[in-house]
Parts: sequence; C-alpha cells; structure tokens
Amino acid sequence: MAILTVAETETMNTKTSQQRNQKRALGRPRPDAPHTSAPSDSRLPTSDSRLPTRHSPLVQMRDISKRFGPVVANDRVSLDLWPGEIHAILGENGAGKTTLVNILSGMETPDSGTIRVEGAEVQIAAPANALRLGIGTVYQHFTLVPNLSILENVVLGAQRSLVLDLADARAQVATMLADFGLDLSPDTEIRHLALGQRQRIEIIKALYRGSRILLLDEPTSVLTPGEVASLLDLLRRLRDQGVAVVLITHKLGEALAVSDRVTILRGGRNAGELGPDALAEASRESVRHRIIEQMFGAPEAAGHPRPVRDGTGTPLLTLERISTASAPGSLALRGLSLALHRGEVFGIAGVDGNGQKELGEVIAGQRPVTTGRIVLEGKEITNRGVAAATRAGIAYVTDDRLQEGTVAALSVAENVALKAIGRKPFSNGFWLDRRAMEEAARRAIAAFDVKTPGPDTPIGRLSGGNIQKLLLARELALDPLVLVCNKPTHGLDLRTADVVAGILREQADAGKAVLLISSELDELLAISDRIGVMVDGELVAVLPRAEATLETLGDLMLGGQRRTHQVAG
Amino acid sequence: MTRQPRLAAHFAPLLTSLAAVVAAMLLGGIFLAIRGKDPVAAFAMLFSRGLGTSYGISESLIRMAPLLIVSAGLVIALRAGVWNIGIDGQLLIGALFAGVTGSSLAGQIPPPLMWLAAALAGIIGGLLWALVPGLLRVRWGLNEIITTLMMNYVAINVTSWLVKGPVKDPSVVPPQTRLIPVELRLPKIPGTGVHIGLLVGLLAVILVTILFRHTVAGFMLDVLGRNRQAAIHAGMPVNRLTLLALLASGALAGLAGANDILGVKGLFQGNWNPGYGFAAFALVYLARLDSLWIIPFAWFLSFLSIGGEMMARPLNIPTYFVDMLEGLMLLCFAVATWFERLRSPYGRAEVEIGPANAGEPPGPAVRETAVGSAAGNIGGRR
Ligand SMILES: Nc1ncnc2c1ncn2[C@@H]1O[C@H](COP(=O)(O)OP(=O)(O)OP(=O)(O)O)[C@@H](O)[C@H]1O
Ligand SMILES: [Mg+2]
Repeated sequence: MAILTVAETETMNTKTSQQRNQKRALGRPRPDAPHTSAPSDSRLPTSDSRLPTRHSPLVQMRDISKRFGPVVANDRVSLDLWPGEIHAILGENGAGKTTLVNILSGMETPDSGTIRVEGAEVQIAAPANALRLGIGTVYQHFTLVPNLSILENVVLGAQRSLVLDLADARAQVATMLADFGLDLSPDTEIRHLALGQRQRIEIIKALYRGSRILLLDEPTSVLTPGEVASLLDLLRRLRDQGVAVVLITHKLGEALAVSDRVTILRGGRNAGELGPDALAEASRESVRHRIIEQMFGAPEAAGHPRPVRDGTGTPLLTLERISTASAPGSLALRGLSLALHRGEVFGIAGVDGNGQKELGEVIAGQRPVTTGRIVLEGKEITNRGVAAATRAGIAYVTDDRLQEGTVAALSVAENVALKAIGRKPFSNGFWLDRRAMEEAARRAIAAFDVKTPGPDTPIGRLSGGNIQKLLLARELALDPLVLVCNKPTHGLDLRTADVVAGILREQADAGKAVLLISSELDELLAISDRIGVMVDGELVAVLPRAEATLETLGDLMLGGQRRTHQVAG
Repeated sequence: MTRQPRLAAHFAPLLTSLAAVVAAMLLGGIFLAIRGKDPVAAFAMLFSRGLGTSYGISESLIRMAPLLIVSAGLVIALRAGVWNIGIDGQLLIGALFAGVTGSSLAGQIPPPLMWLAAALAGIIGGLLWALVPGLLRVRWGLNEIITTLMMNYVAINVTSWLVKGPVKDPSVVPPQTRLIPVELRLPKIPGTGVHIGLLVGLLAVILVTILFRHTVAGFMLDVLGRNRQAAIHAGMPVNRLTLLALLASGALAGLAGANDILGVKGLFQGNWNPGYGFAAFALVYLARLDSLWIIPFAWFLSFLSIGGEMMARPLNIPTYFVDMLEGLMLLCFAVATWFERLRSPYGRAEVEIGPANAGEPPGPAVRETAVGSAAGNIGGRR
C-alpha cells in the first residue's frame, strides 16, 4: 500500500498522468483508509497512509513578509507543506492566515521571502501560476458560475487544447462526483446545489486541474454540522492519496480532528508549530491548551457564569403567527410564534436554511411578512420597514457581513455610522458630523480591540473577524431593546468569540432581550436561557436551558420528535 | 500617516485618467496618420488655436458651462448607482421650456427675473422628463438604462413637433421658438467674453461636492451606489434615494439646456441637439466620479471640441474626430483602470463596487475574491 502511494506521488509531475492518477485513486476508495475511523485515530500517522520519511516538503515558504500600507500582515513567516498531510493554520483574527495562503495561491505577491515547490524556487505572480504548480484554492466565496453545469464549471479553463474532449471529461467528472459522495449528474446546474455541495465541486475543480496542494480558507464556516463532518472525511481521503491540504479554521476541534501538523500565527509571525508527533503524544486537552497559549499568548479565558431566566412575565417582543415567503410559492416561515422577555437570551438552533435568516430579517423589518403581527413593547411594528424597526429599538447583526453588513470601500468610521447616519451624533438630519463618526469608530475599535490602521481605512481591507467585531459594535451602539444576532461569532477567533458571547449575556442581564441565531450548539448552550429549534420555517420546540443538551437539540434539528414546551406567544 | 503620501494617494487615480487621455490622443494620431493626415500638424493646430487664441479660450469656457452643469447632475446619478442615459433628452426638454418661457417673458419683466423664470422652467422640464423613468424604476422596477434611453428619442420627437406647431415663432419659416434679444440674454462675466453660465456651472459642481462630503443625503446616495443591499439593511429609503438621484440629474440637465438658450442661442431650434450626454459620461469617469475633478476635465473636453472644430476645417478632418477622441478616452480609461487594479498596493484582490452594478443587486464586495473583478471595472473608484 505504501509503495503504491509513493508511486502515485512520484508520477504527479505531469499533469495528465496526475489526472489519470487522481481518477484511479479516487475511483477506488481504499477500504483500509482511516477515514471512517474515529477522528482521534485518524490523525495519527498510520503505516498504510503516511508517506515515507525520505520525502522532502512539497512547498517551502521561507521568511515571507507582506505589508499592506502600515500593516504588517506577514512578518518573515515560514511554512512547510508535506505531501499527504493536513496542515492547519491557526491564529487569532488578523494574524495573517488569509494573507499567507493568498500569497501561495497567487492572489497576493509577497514583499520578500522565497517559495519553493519541490525544491525549485518559484514566483507565483497570479492564480494561474499557482494552478500550474498544482496549487488549488477553495475560496470561501465560491467562484462557480451558477447557471453552468457542474461539468462545464469543472472543465472551464482547465482544457489545454482547443478541442474539448467532453466525453472523456464527463466520465472523469462523473467518477469524481460519485467518489465524493455526490449523487449528481455532471449536467446539473450549479445554482441547484446547496452550499456544501458547491464547495465539493470547488474541490473537484481544483483536483481536476491536477492540484496536489489544496488550500481551504475557513471552509467549514458556511457548512452545517453534517456537511462539516463529511468535508473533514473528504480531506482525510485526499490526504491519504498524497494531497497536501492547508486548512484555516477558527474551530480548534475541527483542526485537531484532522490535522497532522498545526502552524500557529500570531501578529503576522510564526508563533509555533506542532508536528504529528507532538499532536499524537499529548492528550487532546493539553494540546488544546498549548495551541491557545501560542495563539493568544495567554491561557484560555474562563467561561461565563450562566444565569437562567425562565421566560415568564410580560414579553418585550412578540411574534404572532408570522409567515413570510422566500421564493414564490414556498414559505420561509410558517406561522411562527415567539415571545422574547427582558433579560433573556433566546437561542435559535437549527440546520442552516430552515428559516433562521428570514426570522432575523422579519424582526429587523428587512423582509415583509405575509401574515402575522410583530409587537414590540405593545407597539405594532409589522411591515414598517427597517428604519422604523430600528427607531423602535431593534438592532440586527446580519450574518452577511460583506454583502449587506458593510460597504467595503467606505471607511471604518462611515460603516460604524451607517445605520444611524440620519441621527445625532452623526448628523443633525442634514449635515454630517464627520468628527463624531470618527470618534464613534475609535470607541468601537478600542472596545473590541479591532485591528485596523485607523478609522479612515476602508473596511474591506480588514480581516474577516475584525469586520465582524465592528458590525457588532455598531449594533450595540444603537442601544436597542432587542438585539437580534445571526451567527455573531462567525469568523471570530476563540477568544473574541468568547468575549462576544459574554457581551451578549451582559446585554441581556442589563435588561435587553437577545435573540441569538447560531449553528454552534456549544455557543447556544453557553449563554441561552431558552433555546428554540427551527425546522422548515417553524419553531418545533422551545426548551429551557436545563433541558437542552447537544443530543436533544441535534435530534430536534434533524426532525426528531416534536416537543413543544411552552408554546411561546 | 504623514501628509505627503495622503496627497499622493489623492492624485494617484488621476494619473490613470491622464494616461488614458494621452493614450487616446496617441491612438487618434495613429488614426489620422492612417487617413493620410499629419497628426503632428493636426494636434499642433488644435493646441495653438484652442489655447493660443482668445476666441478659442473664451469659446472653451462658454462650452464648459453646460458640461459642468450636466456632469454635476450625472455624478449624483452615477454615484447612487443610477444610470441616467437620458441626459440629452432631459436637456432638450429643459431647453425648450426655457426658450418658450424666456421669450414670452422677455421685455415684460426685469431680465434677472426672466432668467430665473426660464432657468426654473428648464429645471422643471428636465425634472419631468426624468420623473417618468424614475417612477417606472421605483414602482415597477423597470431598468432605467432602457427607459432613460428611450425617453431621449421621445424628447427629440416631442420637441421637434412642438417647435413646428404649438410653440413655433409664427413670424419665421424655420421651426424655432421666438428669439430672446441679445441684450436680454445672460450678461458676461466682467472683463471677459464669457457669460455667467460658467459661474452657475462651477456653483453646481461645488454644491454637489458639498452634498457628497457633508450631507446625509449624499452619504446615503454613496452607500446606495456602492452596495444597494447594505443601504436596504441600514434602513435607508432606497426608492426615494433612487428617485432623488434621477430627478436631480434630470433637473440639472434641464438647467444646462436653459443655460444654452439664455446664454448662447436665444431660441430653441427644431434640429438642435448638442449631445452633451456622452461627453459628460466621459468626463465624469475620467474624474473618477469625484465632483471637483470634473472642473479640469470639463475644461479639457471643451477645449478639445472647440480646438477640434477650429482645426478640422482648415485641415479637412471631419469634426467627428473629436467625438472619436472622447470615445477612445473612455475605452483607454477602462483598460487603464484594469492595469491600475493589478498594480494596487492593496493587491488585486480588492473589489470595489461601482455604479457598474446599477439596476442589479450588486455583486460581492469581497476582499477574498479576485475573480470577476475585470468586468464592471469602469466603476472602480479610489
Ligand atoms: N488588502 C489589504 N489591505 C490592507 N490591509 C490588509 C489587506 N489584507 C489584509 N490586511 C491586514 O492584514 C492583517 C492580516 O489579515 P488576514 O486577512 O491575513 O488575517 P486573518 O488571519 O485571515 O484573520 P481572520 O481570522 O480575521 O480572517 C489584518 O490586520 C488585515 O487588516
Ligand atoms: Mg482570514
């Protein structure tokens, strides 16, 4: 088995043989590959899947530096990628992870430092160069063309000759699809696919082009828990076939479950590396501690005390039998009722796409309801629009920070003022007060430790996590009665996520009502007083914290038996 | 941050525009050479007549006035992501309204009042013409690119019908409104041969600059143009802003029409159509949608068209040559912004939303995707 693996990697020098190889390798999943075993086992090097030690690194990045204006995003960072290895890159928000992989994928050019692929020094000036070197990237924001078929998307741009040999390509793509557990015809149009499926097509696309290095930047943040598990399985299989996988994630559990090597960045520099031995030796807990210490330079913060409210008394916000349409003819919310009380964090659990986003938008006034009423403090705000809802005291942290939460080209200060621009202190209704905007931005930056050169930097230049912090700061500054948050810790590093959870809890304790929509059950369990489970546009259960466990929630989310405790409203 | 790089950063986008202008002139020169004309002589004459004669200078400044007014309006529309292609039609209607109002009030009331009334009539005319596409857009979501374009044809036909019949000066044969006597037209700026329309133009540009830098409305228009979904999310009155942008640019186009009637022509003629719209698009993009930069570019394009006219006849070059130069400038500009993106110190990964996305929900403004950024490049802003 080991010999076969070696042979595979050695023939990867030419593109065609590589592709044939992939097809062969993927077409015949190895029954003895460890991808079905428990995570803790699979990260151990096993004799049949590890590569012999005589191999040198596939990629060596040495002393890579990259500045963006005054910001040093990478400061003499080094990284080795070995074939047949999953390499996790960890680090807090703004540590330089995305920049580092962007340099490898040709999206950015380094200011200094060297990159060697198979020992030869290379310049990766553009994504096309990276592809030619066998470096494929799965972007977090997908690059597939929605109204082309899977086959067309995969083949698009990969064909060297003018004549498209579609028959051959189709067979190959069909095999890869089957192999990746996708029961789809190559002719299915991309727009019919779910996010998780699209992501797999992105991976197929990269592999079809002969990639033996696969870069994934926060690939799991868009996935449902089930999809995450199968993505990780897939990555393990690719590893076993000799692909070098780079995985950026903020979820330590994921990283530890699949990685053979972990590189930790901090402030743009290497802060530590744990090889297979180090990862295998110590217990999961001690590894975790070591990593967290290297990421933040301090031990993990303690958890929050968990007070519990039982959801009685006069509600602050009630939703009565709310329905709203998504596409014509299909309802995103079906007669949903809910009552939020002062002082409580009401968690909403559910598999993504079961109406959670629509629930948030309906309350925020951003999406009209077709039937039902929304009442805040006795005042009806149904279908009054966003401005009216905001004025009435509702703040909404969207999960779509890039496309609707912020305007990339406008400054941090302008984005912080975005929702309250027509009011004091940012304006008198007519004239802007730019100084007040800047001051508010400075306060937000200080309060959330946002990494940015200053309030006048375009917000699109900040790292994902830092944008998320500003988004939250903006809504909190509205001083709302009800705070609706959709995935507020999305893309935040562990410590910041923790801080944010703490802030939400404080907001509730200070007398506000918080509706926390999240796909992270741990987070929900940590700070919620009650947790509702959404399935198919309905609240199928509302559990007091004491009765909610990972198992019960998971069960309900997947359509287990209905247990409508305390029907709200 | 020190002052130096900031200033440099402010000028950097202009270099792209200047490069585009130079490239367009070179291409134009090549075109002339192919046609058997001496490009060096042609450009020498263009500059010497346009810049070196007092006639050339003052004609350029007079031509600048309507360009400034129209462009000030176009900036509002384009920054809000609204494509007002109907500038020419709005201008014609405004001019006709102003011609009729002006000539019927001329001599009846003091000239300044007559000018104001005619200007107001022009504004109303342009406004009405923009209102139709505006309502179609916000009520039924009809794409304003198509409706404003169609309204241009309607305007041409409506105005030529009106001057042939209802508002025709009965005392003359050609279809035109009654003449406003020369002595009742806009006065000259003291010491020059340039009428005060230029000052109106400068004022319009300055007001628009203030609008975008210092007012809530300008801020909201900017947000709308860059990311419509964010404007909705932030609770901005998206429909009202869209309508406002269209109406403002229509009103200013109408005012530009009034300017030409009151300052230069004195009457509305049936076949008159100055076609400032295209020049305005070119110069607004060259100015990178930054209203103050409109001033030098408006002057430059006016100079080009006056100098071009002055050189065309003696050298027997079609006057269309200058229009072609304008077109080439836009093309070169689109190409140049693409190169600019490649060279950007912040990496090519940065995608900014420009008004290229008007009408549609805008694409992602995402640092992490480079793909697809080449399309819609023209909207890129600093
Ligand atoms: N195009 C850019 N222009 C300006 N600054 C940038 C740019 N790209 C990254 N930066 C800055 O470089 C630093 C590193 O950013 P990077 O995106 O690599 O962080 P990250 O580790 O991926 O963070 P996150 O976990 O929040 O995604 C940040 O401070 C960021 O603001
Ligand atoms: Mg990142």
